[in-house]
Amino acid sequence: MSSQSPEQVLRDAVDWMLRLEHLPASDPMHHAFEQWYMHCAEHQAAWQRVNSVLETALADLQGLPGQVQLASRALRALPNPSRRHLLGKGLALLLLGAGSVSVLNRLAPVADLLADARTATGERKTLQLADGSRLSLNARSAADIRFDAQQRRVVLRAGDLQVQVEPDRARPLIVATAHGEVRAMGTRFMVRQESQRCLVSVQQHSVLLSTPDGSARRVEAGQAFAFDRRGSVAVAPSMHTRDDWVRGRIEARDEPLGELVEALRPYYGGLLRISPQAAQVRVFGTFLVDDIKRTLASLGETLPIRVDSLGFWLTRIDVK
Amino acid sequence: MADSQPVKDAFSEFYGTNHRWLRAWLFRRLQCPHDAADLAQDTFLRVMRVPQPVVIEEPRAFLATVARRLLSNLFRRRALEKAYLEELANFIDACAPSEEELVLVHEALVQIDQLLHGLPLRVRHVFILSRLDGLPQPQIARQLGISIATVERDLRRAFLHCLSVAGA
Repeated sequence: MSSQSPEQVLRDAVDWMLRLEHLPASDPMHHAFEQWYMHCAEHQAAWQRVNSVLETALADLQGLPGQVQLASRALRALPNPSRRHLLGKGLALLLLGAGSVSVLNRLAPVADLLADARTATGERKTLQLADGSRLSLNARSAADIRFDAQQRRVVLRAGDLQVQVEPDRARPLIVATAHGEVRAMGTRFMVRQESQRCLVSVQQHSVLLSTPDGSARRVEAGQAFAFDRRGSVAVAPSMHTRDDWVRGRIEARDEPLGELVEALRPYYGGLLRISPQAAQVRVFGTFLVDDIKRTLASLGETLPIRVDSLGFWLTRIDVK
Repeated sequence: MADSQPVKDAFSEFYGTNHRWLRAWLFRRLQCPHDAADLAQDTFLRVMRVPQPVVIEEPRAFLATVARRLLSNLFRRRALEKAYLEELANFIDACAPSEEELVLVHEALVQIDQLLHGLPLRVRHVFILSRLDGLPQPQIARQLGISIATVERDLRRAFLHCLSVAGA
């Protein structure tokens, strides 16, 4: 029989656990523990209890490869629950709580929050500029507008834009990106900032594309070029070079589903994941971007794929 | 049970008088009619399970108290779910769990989170790094920039906290 209180026995058991955990098997401490353990049934029961903390939860996680680490990260990403979050508008903030900067960044790039013109997820905008030109921004896009007496300059920071340029011989209109510049010559064209490069496509007349490596080329109506700081290369027309989004549509003409999903991303507030197999499926058709949930659901009805919405934050697309 | 009929009647009256109000109250906080309806239902279920037919002096204040607690659980659950999916999205695609596995993982997360409820953030992190990641104490100390003695103290505190929660 142990003469100690049950609380004290539990404390001792915890101490043993912490002491023994990372000791080599040969350490004499193990012998001392054995004596403690064998001393009485209370010690053994306490040892059982300490060892069973988290037991069921961990057993569930350990069955799935990699999940324990993910769970650890998720649990550490959250702030402690606080009553303050439960009142009124604080709720939305909790949903976008700590650790969410990366989410925010995906939904509306933080660096672009200060841009002159920007759009949120699912939002499109057409602006009339001071010179009469019209600037359309696709969803999740941002641009700065710098007009002065010498030039009309639009800096694309993220996403897609299309400009319908009002002619002005004295002041060229230039769209600048991190990867180069597009100079308009009375025309309609589109520029898209991707993660590693940009695309330019011309709907009317032509533009002059110049890149930091010093090269320049003319891009004519119907053509599209990809460019980065080292130069440019012609690309085939695709849903990324056509301007259907200005009218709220995306047209896929026998193109991979993965590309369509890329084009739909700026319209979806959560995470959109697609398996490599599903990304290969060919798609043909017109997709409306403004009812993104229905569009995603309709993909599942017309293609040999499965579209699952899990929780309220993730949609997964995979082959059937 | 002789008094079960009057209790039922009292409950349906209570339900009838307050259900719409509670749904509206929840809708203002959730901005989603389905969530509001679900949570209103849950709230009434909780109230119904109160063992004694209590006379409720301020029915709406009482409902709001119960609903607030459920609301807090729901948001915590969602925040956890989101944090996990966020981590999952950063992880390589090949290991995406199935839907059934996701349910298990979410349950496990909620369980661990509830067990650690009430502990200070550092203690919580120390415990998670030790029990889930299996890091030795010196490494946890390095990672969090605290002393090994603090790690040990935090672990002891977390263990005793979990034992008291689990034993309650």
